Amino acid sequence: MATAPNDEKQSAPKEVLLRVDSLSKIYDGAVKAVDDVSLTVNRGEIFGLLGGSGCGKSTLLRMLAGFETPTKGKIFLEGQDITNLPPHQRPINMMFQSYALFPHLSVWENIAFGLKRDGMPKDEIAERVDKMLSLVQLGKYPKRKPHQLSGGQQQRVALARSLAKRPKLLLLDEPLGALDKKLRETTQLELVNIIEEVGVTCVLVTHDQEEAMTMASRIAVMSEGYFLQVGFPEEVYEIPNSRQVADFIGNVNMFEGVIDEDEPDHVTVNCEDCIQYVGHGISCSPGQLVSVAIRPEKILLSQTKPDDKYNWVEGEIIEIVYFGANSTYHLKLTSGKVIKVQEINTTRELTCWRTWGAKAYAHWNDMAMIVLTQ
Amino acid sequence: MNESSSYVRHFNWGKLGVISVPYFWFVMLALIPILIVLKISMSEMELTSVSNMVDWSNGWPTVKLNFSSYLFIGGDALYIKTYLSSIKYAFITTLLCLAIGYPFAYFMARSPKHLQPMLLMLIMLPFWTSFLLRIYAWKTLLVSNGVINNILISLHIIDTPLLMMNNSFSLIIGMVYSYLPFMILPLYANLSKLDMRYLEAAADLGTSPFKAFWLITVPLSKAGIIAGSMLVFIPAVGEYVIPELLGGPSTLMIGRVLWDEFFSNNDWPMASAVAVVMILLILVPMAILNKYQAEQAGSKS
Repeated sequence: MATAPNDEKQSAPKEVLLRVDSLSKIYDGAVKAVDDVSLTVNRGEIFGLLGGSGCGKSTLLRMLAGFETPTKGKIFLEGQDITNLPPHQRPINMMFQSYALFPHLSVWENIAFGLKRDGMPKDEIAERVDKMLSLVQLGKYPKRKPHQLSGGQQQRVALARSLAKRPKLLLLDEPLGALDKKLRETTQLELVNIIEEVGVTCVLVTHDQEEAMTMASRIAVMSEGYFLQVGFPEEVYEIPNSRQVADFIGNVNMFEGVIDEDEPDHVTVNCEDCIQYVGHGISCSPGQLVSVAIRPEKILLSQTKPDDKYNWVEGEIIEIVYFGANSTYHLKLTSGKVIKVQEINTTRELTCWRTWGAKAYAHWNDMAMIVLTQ
Repeated sequence: MNESSSYVRHFNWGKLGVISVPYFWFVMLALIPILIVLKISMSEMELTSVSNMVDWSNGWPTVKLNFSSYLFIGGDALYIKTYLSSIKYAFITTLLCLAIGYPFAYFMARSPKHLQPMLLMLIMLPFWTSFLLRIYAWKTLLVSNGVINNILISLHIIDTPLLMMNNSFSLIIGMVYSYLPFMILPLYANLSKLDMRYLEAAADLGTSPFKAFWLITVPLSKAGIIAGSMLVFIPAVGEYVIPELLGGPSTLMIGRVLWDEFFSNNDWPMASAVAVVMILLILVPMAILNKYQAEQAGSKS
C-alpha cells in the first residue's frame, strides 16, 4: 500500500490550494447528492475521494470542474472564489471517466485542443504537445485517431490532454476504471509518477479502495453525500472512526460487545464468542455497547488451543478462498458467527491441516483490534 | 460433428435467403427499370412504341444503338441550362434546409426527453395532409391578391403587392418547406446520440459554448449533415410538382422538361435520355463522395 507519510512531508509548510466551504448540491429540492461538505487540498497533494456509486463523489468533482452549480457553499482556488466561474474559465482540467477523447481529432490535435483555445503561438503549442507526448510515451503516434489506440494508450492521451494547459488543479474521474486489472496496477504507479513529475495538485475520484490507497496521499471516505472520514490511507485503514468506514475499506470482522473493565491502560469487552482484551485505553464507559473490529490479516490460525484468557475463538473452517499469495479462511464459531482469517501462503505445501471441516483456533494480540463506538 | 456442420449449412442457406431479399428487390425494382430506361433512350421512336434494339432480320442479331437523343441534349443549350438550373435550385434548397433544419434538430435533441416524441410528431404532422394540398396552400398565401400581400397592404406597409409567386422565390419556399423534414430527421437522429461528455471536455479545456458547437458538435454530426443533404438534394434535382405549381417561366427544372418530352412531344427516347443524364449527374458525385467516405471509414478500422 502507500508509503507512510514521511516527516519531511508533514513538516513542510502546507499551502492550501483548494478550499471547499460547506458545499451542497440538492436535486429537485430534496435529493441531497452532496451534503454540506468542507475540505482543503494542499498544493502538490493527491486527494482521493472514495465511495460507492451514488455517494456524491462524482457530483462533488463536477462542481469543482464547474459542470454542476452548487446549491449552497463556496469553492476557493488559491483564495479566489471560483464558485460561479463557468468551466471554460477555470484553471482546472479534468481527466474524464472513459476519457472523452475527441473522436474526430488525432492524438496531437486532442492534446493541442486546449492550448489552441488559449491562443498560444503555434510553435509553442507544437513544443508543448511534443513534450506532453514524450511525457506519456506516445511520441510515436501523434497522427493516430483515439479509436486506433489501445485502452492504456487512450488513457495516456487523456492524461496528456488534461496536463497540457498546466492546470492548477487536475481532476481525475475514475482514471483507471476502463482498464483491466493487470494494466491498472502498472498504470497506477505510472500515473502517480507523471503527476509527481509535473507537480500538479490532484483530486481523484474512485470507488476502488486499492486505487485510492496506492495513488492518494490523503483520502476522504464518502457516503450519502458527506465525508465519513478524512485522513492518510493508513489512518483510514488502521484507525477507522466508524463501523461504516471499517466496513467499506477492506475486510473486517466485527464483534459486538459490552465494555466491562475500563482502565487507563486497557479495556475489556465482553462479546458473545470471547472476551476482548484491548491493550490501550479508550474513551468509553462500562456497560457501553461497542463494536470491536479486527482485520482478517491480523488474526492467526492455530491447531492448538491458545494459552491465553482473552482474544481467541474456536471454530470450524467452512470455506477456503485461495488467492495464490494468500488464503482467506472462513471460520464458523460455536455461536454461528462466521469470521474471516487471512494467512500468507509462506510454504509450497499443497496439503496442510487447514482444510474444510477442520477445527481451528483463531487468536490475535491485544493491539490488533479497534473499538468503534459509532 | 455432423450435427454442427449440418447446422452451419442450414444457417448459411438462411443467411443467403435473408441477404437475397434486398438484392432481389434492388434488381427487380431499381436495376432492371434503369436498364429499360437506358435501352429506350438508345432506341428510335416509332409510331406507337419504341423500336427494338436487337434486329434478327438477316438471321444475325444486329444491335442498333441510337445516340441521337444524347447528341441532341449535348448540343442544345436549353437542356444544359435546365440541368444547371435544377442543380442550382436543389443546392439552394439543401443549404436552406440545412440552415433551418440544423438548429431545429439541435434544439429538438436538447429538449427534455419527454417532449421529444411530441416534437417529432409535429415534424411528421404535415405528411398527414396531401402534398398537393399543402403546395396549393402556399399558392394562396403568395399570390398577388393572396393572404400575405393583403395583410401587408391593409397594414399600409406596402402599396403594391409583392411579386412572390411563379418565380424562384416561391419555388424555393415550396421546396424548402416540403423537404425540411427529410433534413431534420437524420440530423435529429445524429445529434440526439451526441455524447455530452465531449462538450464538457471541450469546456473543461477552455472552449466557450459557441466555439465548442463549431469545433465539436458540427464535426461530430457530419454523418447526419451528409445524410440529410443527400435526402434533400437528390429528390430536389428531379422535382416536378413544386416547379409546376409554384415555379414560373424563369425557373427551369429538369422534371418539367421530362414531362414535356413524355407527354407533350411523346418522344420516349428523348425523355429517357434526359432521365439517364440526370441520374448520372446525381450518381457520379454521390459515388465519389461514397468512395471518399468508405476510404475514411477504412482508415479508421
